[in-house]
This record gives sequence, C-alpha cells and structure tokens, in this order.
Amino acid sequence: MSTDTLNSDVTDTDSITEATTTHAREAALRPFGKPSRGWWLAVSVLTSVVLLGIIAWVVQLRDGMAVAGYNDQAFWSIYIADVVTFIGVSYGGAVVSAILRLTGATWRAPLTRLAEGTAVVTVLVGAALIIPHIGRPHLLWELVTQPNLAAPVFWDFIAVSTYTAASLVFFALPLIPDMAVLRKQYGQQLGRRRARLFAAVSRGWVGAPRQRRVLAGALGVVSIMIIPLAVSVHSVLAWAFATTSRPWWHESIWAPQFVVAALYSGVALVILVVAGFRRGYHLESLITERHFVRLGFILATFSATYIYLTFADLLPGAYVGEVGTADVFARLLVGDLAVWFWLFAVAGGLLPLLLVALPWTRNLPGMVVASVLVVTMMWLKRMLMVNAAGNYDRMTGAFGDYHFTWVSVSVTLAATAAVPLLLMLLFRVVPLLSIDEIEEIQEIEAANARPATTAAAHTELIGPATSDALPAGATGKGHRVPRVAGVLTLVALLCSFGAGAATPASATTSQGGKSTNTTAITITGVESGGLMELTATLTGRDGDPLADATVAFLFSTTQFGTPARLVPLGSVTTDGAGVARLTLGGDADHLYQPTTKGPQKFIATYAASSAHLVTSSTTVNVTVAQSAYEPPPPNPLAGMGEGLIAALFVIVLAVWLTLAAQVWRVRRVCRVVL
Amino acid sequence: MFAKENDMQPPTTHPDVPAGLAPELAQEVSTVLSRRSLLATVGLAAAGGALATVFFKDEVHAATVAKGATAPEHAWCMVIDLRTCDGCEMCTRSCQQRHGLREEQTWIKVYSMEDSSGGTFAMPRPCMMCEDPPCLKVCPVGATLHTDEGLVLVDQDTCIGSRACMAACPYEARYFNWSEPLPPKGIPMPSTPEMPKQAQGTVGKCVLCADRLPYGELPACVAGCPMGVLYIGDLVTDIAVNGPGKTVVLSEFLRDNDAVRYKEELGTNPRVWYILGHGQTLGQQV
Repeated sequence: MSTDTLNSDVTDTDSITEATTTHAREAALRPFGKPSRGWWLAVSVLTSVVLLGIIAWVVQLRDGMAVAGYNDQAFWSIYIADVVTFIGVSYGGAVVSAILRLTGATWRAPLTRLAEGTAVVTVLVGAALIIPHIGRPHLLWELVTQPNLAAPVFWDFIAVSTYTAASLVFFALPLIPDMAVLRKQYGQQLGRRRARLFAAVSRGWVGAPRQRRVLAGALGVVSIMIIPLAVSVHSVLAWAFATTSRPWWHESIWAPQFVVAALYSGVALVILVVAGFRRGYHLESLITERHFVRLGFILATFSATYIYLTFADLLPGAYVGEVGTADVFARLLVGDLAVWFWLFAVAGGLLPLLLVALPWTRNLPGMVVASVLVVTMMWLKRMLMVNAAGNYDRMTGAFGDYHFTWVSVSVTLAATAAVPLLLMLLFRVVPLLSIDEIEEIQEIEAANARPATTAAAHTELIGPATSDALPAGATGKGHRVPRVAGVLTLVALLCSFGAGAATPASATTSQGGKSTNTTAITITGVESGGLMELTATLTGRDGDPLADATVAFLFSTTQFGTPARLVPLGSVTTDGAGVARLTLGGDADHLYQPTTKGPQKFIATYAASSAHLVTSSTTVNVTVAQSAYEPPPPNPLAGMGEGLIAALFVIVLAVWLTLAAQVWRVRRVCRVVL
Repeated sequence: MFAKENDMQPPTTHPDVPAGLAPELAQEVSTVLSRRSLLATVGLAAAGGALATVFFKDEVHAATVAKGATAPEHAWCMVIDLRTCDGCEMCTRSCQQRHGLREEQTWIKVYSMEDSSGGTFAMPRPCMMCEDPPCLKVCPVGATLHTDEGLVLVDQDTCIGSRACMAACPYEARYFNWSEPLPPKGIPMPSTPEMPKQAQGTVGKCVLCADRLPYGELPACVAGCPMGVLYIGDLVTDIAVNGPGKTVVLSEFLRDNDAVRYKEELGTNPRVWYILGHGQTLGQQV
C-alpha cells in the first residue's frame, strides 16, 4: 500500500499531527505486508530450533529425565532456572506499559504494544517450560483436581495463570480502538482474515467519548492490578525455593530479590525486542534513540538495586558462617562456581550500569549490549541460585553436579527461539504499535502547544483513571505459605487413669514348675486402679520360699510376628517370703505399662542355674490400657496458614472478577448504540 | 481422590500369611490438616464460586472420614544403634532387593560420618518418618501421604514428579526415578503406597516396609541387618525389636541409651532415634 493512498484518507486535524498520525498507522501495518526474505529466513531458523527442542523433549519423555543431565543431587536445575528466567522477563511489559502509564510518561506510547506483547509471549513460554521440568507432565491436571493448598508450587500455578490472564487482558483491551481505526481506514487491504478478526475485536467501537472514558478507566484498573500481580508471581516463584529449609534458598530476601531480578531482566528484554522490531520494520522515526536511553535509565536503576540485593543476600550468611550456608557461599564465591558468579557480578551487574552511566556508551548500541548482558547473565544467576544450593547434600555436606546435555540445552534454546518467533507471528496479526495511544498523546501534545479549547475534552484520558477505585483486596500480593499442614491427627488417650477400673481384672495362672521337688515359680497378675501388678512366688527345691533371688518379668507380644517376642519388663529380687512384686509403670526403672486391651500374657523367670530356667506365665485380661505414644505439640502457626489460604482464595477470586468486569464494561460500552 | 483412598486399603490377603490373620491396620489417609479445616472458611468465602466447590468436594469427604478416626493403634518408629553398626550396607541391599531399586536409589543409605576425634562411624539413614514432614506440605498434588500410624508414603499414581519434596527433605531421603525403573520382580500387583511399584518420573522413598508391619513381619532392612543395629518400634505399644531377636521396652531403651534424633532443631519431629556410641557425634548439619 502506497503512502499516497494512506494520506488521502486523512480527514480533519492540523497538518503536522496528520502526517505523524498517518505515519504511525502506516508503520503499524508494515508487518502485515508481504514478508521479506529476511523474515522468512529468521522464521525458518527459529522454527527449526523450536522443533529441535520439541524432539529433545520427546526423547526426554521416553527415556526419563536422566537424559537431561539430572540426578538425585541435582534434582532441580536448568528447567526451573529457565522457568524463573522466562516468567521473570515478562515483567518488562508490565513496567514499560503499566508503570509508565500510571506515571503519565507519554514517551512510552510507541513501545507499549511491543512491551505488552513480549510480556504475554514470555509468560506463556515460561509457563510451558514447567512441562519439561516435571517428571510426569500428563498428570499436570491434578493441580486443578486435587491440589494441596499448602504447597507453594500450587500457588505458583494460581499466580502464573492469574498473571497470564491479566497480561492477556492488558494486551487485548488497547487493541480495540486500534483495530477499529485500521479496519475503518484500510478495510479489505488488511486481508480477509485480518479484517474479520479486526471487525470482531472492535465491534461497536466508534471512538465516542463515553467509550474512550470507559476504556481508559478499564486500562487504568488493569494497570494498577498488573503490578501487584507481577510481584505475586515472582514472589511465589521465590517461595517455592525459600519455603524449604535448604541453605541459601531459605532466605527472606529471595522474594523481593526475584521481583527486582524480574524487573531488571524484563526491561532489558523490552529494549532488545524494541530494538529488533525497530530495525526490522524501520520504525526509526517513531522510536528514537531517546527511547532507548530512557529505558536504559530504568535498567540502571534496577541494576543498582539488584547489585545491592545480591550483596544483602550473601553478606549475613557469609559473615555468620553457619554450616550449610557457608559451604554453599564458599562454593559460589571462591569455589568451583566462583568464575561464573563473578562473571555475573561484572557482566550482569557492573557493566550494564557502566554502559548506562558513561555518556559515550549511552546510546542505542550501548543499551543493546547492556541488555544482552543482562538477559544472559540473569539466566546465569538463576542457574547459580538453583544449582549451588540444590546440589548441596545436607547429609554429607558434599556437592553434586548438574551436567548439561544436548536435551536440556536444546529445550532451553527452543524456549529462547520461541519468544522472537511468537512475537514475529503475533505482529503479523495484531498492529505493531499502539496507534490510539500514540495519536492520543500526539493530540494532547499538539493541544498543549497551542492554547486550544477543543483539547479539553481529551485531557481526562491520560494518566491513571483515578475515578475507578480498585475493589478491595484486588491487589493480590503475598501468597506466603508458612509452616502449615503436616500436623498429625491428634491422638485421644485411650483411657484415663483409674476410670472404671476399680474392680480387679480376672486372672488365670498357669504354673511353670510342675514338680514340687524342683525350684518352682508362679506368677499372678492383678490389674487394680489402672495399674498392673505382677507377683511372682519362688519356692526352692524343698518347697520353702526362696529369698534374695532375682526374678525377671517379661511380656509376650506377637506384634512382630510368631514365635512371640518377649519384652523384658525388669527384674525384682524376692523378699523373705520368696515373693517378687512388679508394678508396671510404678517407677522410673519400669516404664512399661499395658498398651493394649484384652488378654495379655506375662511371664516370670528365674535362673535356678545357668542351665536351668524356671518360668511361669499368666494371662491377664487388661481392661485399662494406655497408649505410650504422645503426639508432638501442634504447630501454633497452623491456624494462621489456614486463614492465609482462605484469604488468598478471596483475593484471587476478586482479581479474576475484576479482570472480567473490565472486559465486560468495555464490551458493554461498545454494544450501546451511540 | 476416592480412587486413591481405595488404593490405601490394606490388602485383604498377604502372600506370606494365612487369610485368617486379618491385619488390624486401618490405613486411613490422614489428610493435611490445613486442607481439611480450610473448608469451613473457604466454603464461606467462595460460596458463590463454582470453582471452589469442584476443588473441595473430595476434601469434604476426607474431613468427615478423619473426624471419626480414633487414636491410632500403632505409631511406627525406628531406633538405630550406631554402637554396633559396622557399615556393611546389608540394610541397603536388602531394601533394594525387596523394592527393585537401582544401585543409586538408596532408600536406606549408610553414610560414613566423621566423629569428633577424626575417626569415622557408619550411620544408616532411612526415611525419618517425620511427624511434621516438610515433604508433605510442599507436594502440589498431595501425592505424599501421612497415615494415622505415622508413615509418610508416596502415592505413585498421583505423583507428578515436581520434586518439591526432594528440595524440602532435610535428610535427602527421597529418590527420583530418572529413568525406567528396573523390571519389578516379586512385587505384588497392584502397586500401593505401602508397597509401591516405581514408575519413571516419580519420587520414591523408604516406606518402612509398611505392607509387612500389619503382619508382624520386620522391614527388609531390619531383618537384613546382621549386627542388630536397626530396631523397628511402635510408640503406642512401647516395644521395639531388631533382626537378631532382641526385644526391648522402647521408652526405656531410648532413655537408658540417651537416644537422640537427627536435626531436631528443624522441628520435623522425626520418628527415628539414634543411639550414639563412644566418642561419636551427630553433627548439626542443616
């Protein structure tokens, strides 16, 4: 489509605005034209990489995760680092679009669509990387059908899906005016399928003031929501690590550090995506070097913050030198991972900061180099965070190792290639630039430049829609899952002492020594008042009582199989009457008490000589039995956990309802005939 | 969930035991407390949410089952007498043979630990069967179970292989099936959490031979230990026995020998006690 055709459609407004407006519209349509050879080349290379990754994943599915380099000492590694990295970079979209929208930074206009698109694509790729990470992906639906509400990984799933939905809404709502204006202006030139899609999305949009007001309001609400939602996603990802008692992972700073890491790498990726599309579709007149420098300043802010947080993360553990944490930090800072850590510190922390700080590198190439460094080094940092602590054997203090294999590298590269590929395909369908936003801001700037009264109607559109108050609880922060659950069902004591046991239990006695000519022993057992007393009477060869002899009492149990095991209950010396008495549980040396009801067999033995053992047994019907087991005290914080989970569900529900309400109100205002 | 509970029922007959000896063990899954009592609150909060009703239908059922449960008849535990352990690893091998494990899958692993005088001693480490198991909380799909009798088991049919439990376990007692498990031999079908058949992509761990305990049989490691180091015990009946036949009153045995639990400070309430020897220490490694 030629420039002449485009210009002829332009109607009122003054000539300067007219030219740039047309330019923005025309530029937004550039990806819709016949793709260049470069486009085809890029798409085919990226597709090949993605296909290779899918093949690698199928191999892993068939042969097990060992082919991806995993072992029991490296149970979490590259894939979870990839998940954190990709979901992390999606925060860039929220920053550039939402934060800049809320702060009224008008220069954002040509970047928002690209930034939001990047957010959607990266969060989808990041979520998909969970599939190679887990052992049996075909059972993932269990997260919905039988979730464990106390598990951080379950809340990861909730947070990521909520954030994905919000990103999609945030991406889709501004498309309505753009698609309406493009369809009106270009019609069938867009292509049949695109025209149909644009008509469907923008149905009913005429750009009436009321429609504009509602859309701006809805976007304001979603902008506010998406910031805490992104915070929640990166926090819960961090808590999947921090809620274990593993050294270094178990740090309170991890959640904020993950959030800043996401902001940092996200801004860097937005710089790269914007630079790529600017070059590919010649958007130099709309996106200037000034844009990159401004994004570079944001990058530098997060760079400095991240360096600070990394230092704050490492200092206390290294200073105290606790076993475990100190071992992990030694490996990281001076051990076999030190090269990588200091590479990150220099190339991922200081260099980007310098590239922004120094005037002669504060330009487009400088910002692109800084961004490449940040994106790659932040992946490296995540690898270090996962592996340095994950490989630590908490029994031996030794470290395991993760080994890169072609499978895991291919899957990671495929995910990396999928981001530009999906973006290139996405912008074949939706407009590359946020035309409405650009035009709006141009109009306002033009109106500000001259003392016009007509612009007053539009000024309310910029900045946050303060009139739309956020519903209470919609800012979904903090899915913290503290120590809950895991608490045993409390054990009720079987019986209380003495209750209903006043009458002595029946006892039958069998005599061990039959012949009166030899040493004989008899045992009787009486249960009284909840206590079991065993009495053994020992008679000598002549029938006289045997004094000062040691009688051993035993309890016969078949709990651990037959023949019955004999549990030694203690030994008692006979008195002058040849009687030995043992009260079970009566003193500290004889702790055993009957633990099960019913007939129980007790035995008394006396070693008349080394070869001659006399025994006698009796069966007592135990009526008062007491479990020896005392459960540990319940966790006092368990109730807090339950309350937290309930609160989180309310918040998540509110977020989803609020999101749906924004879509609904925009749809509704488009239905009304104005 | 219903299907899972059915799986948890003990087998009505055991290959080695006459049918008349029915096990007393009632293996009711004790669901995670938070999940259970959450219902009341969430039921209120999300009364309107159809989503929530789908989520909690099973939990409502589990909650009613658990409430009626009485005190457990057994509370299984283990005592490990380090004084007599010579590190022969017969326990490990007996276990691997019984459960069809690979060499690196050491559900009971014998560590060589350093004592305070620079010497070494052997320390077998089974699953600690914690009363507050960190692995239980973090499982996203509730594949780790805690029975009324205190056994921490893995439902192989539910496990999605997220390995969150491996990250959480302070004793490194969990092992992933990184590749196709060895072909099962002598394992009764179907697989139960008490006698799990390993599957690629799932986590396995020591089950204390939960399928044997109701029949009065000893776990493979206890039976296989020639030194009598390992004792299987029951905190309810207060009895512990080892392989060679020594039988003790559990509470007295623990007290008289100054038994300790490993990494007590983590608050997991492990159900494995160690009896230390002369000059032997158990480090406070975290």
